[in-house]
Amino acid sequence: MSGRAFSVILLPTSECNVACDYCFEHKEAHRLSPTLLPLLTRRLLDHMEHEGIGDCEIYWQGGEAMIMGPAWFADAGQIMDAAATRRGRRFIHYLQTNLIIYSPAWNEVIKSMFGGSLGTSMDFPNTHRKLFNGSAEAYTRTWTRRLEEARAAGIEVGVIAVLHQDSLDAGPEAFYHYFAEELALDNFQVNTPFPGGPANPDGIHLDQVSLARFLAELFDIWMERGYGLGVKLGPFDALVDHFTGAPARLPCIWKENCSSQFISVDAKGTVAQCDCWVTSYPEKFFGNIFREPDLTTMLRTSPARREFVERPRHLVEHEDCLSCRWLSICHGGCPVRTYSALGTMLAKDPYCEVYKSIFARAEHHARAIVRKQALQSPDWARLTPGNRSLEVGTGS
Amino acid sequence: MNQSDGPLVFIPAAATPPPEGAFVVIVRTREELTRCLSEPAPGLDWLQVEGLLGDTEAWANAAVDGRPVPLDVIMSNPAEEFSLLYRLADVRLSREVRVTMPATPGFMKALRLAASLHLAVRLLPRQPDTATLTELTEAVTFYLHDSAVEAPIEPFHSLLAQMRGTAPPVTLWEILEEDPAAFVHLDGAGQPRQAADFVAQHVRRIVEQGGECATCPWIGMCAGYFKWPDASYSCAGVQRLIGYIESAAEEISQALAGLEGTSRQRTGKNAP
Repeated sequence: MSGRAFSVILLPTSECNVACDYCFEHKEAHRLSPTLLPLLTRRLLDHMEHEGIGDCEIYWQGGEAMIMGPAWFADAGQIMDAAATRRGRRFIHYLQTNLIIYSPAWNEVIKSMFGGSLGTSMDFPNTHRKLFNGSAEAYTRTWTRRLEEARAAGIEVGVIAVLHQDSLDAGPEAFYHYFAEELALDNFQVNTPFPGGPANPDGIHLDQVSLARFLAELFDIWMERGYGLGVKLGPFDALVDHFTGAPARLPCIWKENCSSQFISVDAKGTVAQCDCWVTSYPEKFFGNIFREPDLTTMLRTSPARREFVERPRHLVEHEDCLSCRWLSICHGGCPVRTYSALGTMLAKDPYCEVYKSIFARAEHHARAIVRKQALQSPDWARLTPGNRSLEVGTGS
Repeated sequence: MNQSDGPLVFIPAAATPPPEGAFVVIVRTREELTRCLSEPAPGLDWLQVEGLLGDTEAWANAAVDGRPVPLDVIMSNPAEEFSLLYRLADVRLSREVRVTMPATPGFMKALRLAASLHLAVRLLPRQPDTATLTELTEAVTFYLHDSAVEAPIEPFHSLLAQMRGTAPPVTLWEILEEDPAAFVHLDGAGQPRQAADFVAQHVRRIVEQGGECATCPWIGMCAGYFKWPDASYSCAGVQRLIGYIESAAEEISQALAGLEGTSRQRTGKNAP
């Protein structure tokens, strides 16, 4: 049906059970009512039908999604999937959780609804993620125990790490060792922090040069120790895929226009660009999915969304993005990182120089990979135009 | 873009009934675009979309998945319109999209952005002046060396393939879809604007005149493209441009031959 991806970051609650220093979200004890879930589902399916979209990825997040309990998710999944099947569509569910209240009671729904996998978060060193009335150390101990329990139950776990000053001070070697070797994770990713936001205006400010150096060195360590063993380290793995000509799914911050690929909906039905916007910036809400009868019309007519749609245009007209050799994989970067730092989204991402450094590192490593593959393959002469490094018109 | 054997006829959206055989419909309004996408007539090869790049709603409709009718989006002023190409980012995910632009001053902005959005490009050089030739050379370099380029940029792509011997010989007129023998544009009375043998007659005429074409090494693939409409146009700059592409083709062939030798040494096998 569709080559277009459509994803919904769905927040069944904005409530959270931990107290991380740098969290940018306004936390509310509001939960998505089972009574409203069929209406939410119908609105999403109507939109998919209007747009000719077959599959919709639902990223369940919070707040803390596990606060809703496994039974709530089992019911929600059943309601949504049955409705989608009746209309010849499909929801694909993903779960992002802090894991703190994970228990074996979750195993069944994680396997049946989430394909046996989940995403969680941890930093290294952990100095900012804290339990209520607890320490970062207590958080780390609890999280590590839950991680081990989940993996022992056969659940695949991917981890997102937000970088902060202590990460840079610890260095990429210690960082990589912790995730890939001490925790033995084969799938984790690094995120750049938000420079601030209304709920946490101080945010995290990192020196761009130090951050770029950290990431470049981490990239090298991963290539040397993890890449060949199949360890996935995002976003580096996606960039290597891109530069070697393999199908690549780059993170949302580098899409040509994130506004066309996903939305976020909170427990009250608020629709905004992503979880960052829906929890933090009321002035950029698109509308309410329960109050407005047609999501497609809401998205096409929302003045707030128009800003997101027009942002890449503005950047190539007013910033130096058009002359940047990385335009095709960046398009000016993340609107919310820009907005939280500068108070406008009509500027390029403040991490521009950091991204350029990562892209150059990825291209360097990818060239070596392709060269090695070409020299080792007796079938090189049959390489197709899709193989970017050897054929015409696809870079040199 | 032409996938059919016979000539393609370009017709306005209002034309009824459509001609027999393959055809392209020219659409100029949002309504025409929406109608032709939702109810494509049998024989439709693609839609040529003119003057709609700024119409947000038109592209929102075109991005909706339905019948996969390809689009050729015509830019009239690429230096001014370039940022509007972002409107096509979603459309490309639902159907084939190509952008056609004249090589007018500042076109590189549009070419660069189109490539970054993975859109195929048909660049119409016509009879370029000195400044435009400089920009065309920049475009060839961009096409050859920039990792952003994943979709074909014509005519460079087909010229390079021919020069490497990986594509059958065709003329620039055919590559750029301006040969009336294969691409038939109609006048107000519904008659072809140019005779089907226009290119053959044009080549014969300019060769008989004994100008540059008579001794040009690329007359076979150019077929006098740059000598029309002004037969006195000097091809010196164009010849350097084509020579640049030919050098790149030779360089690529030599590099691949070198790689073959290395591969044989390493594997102890003959390459297939």
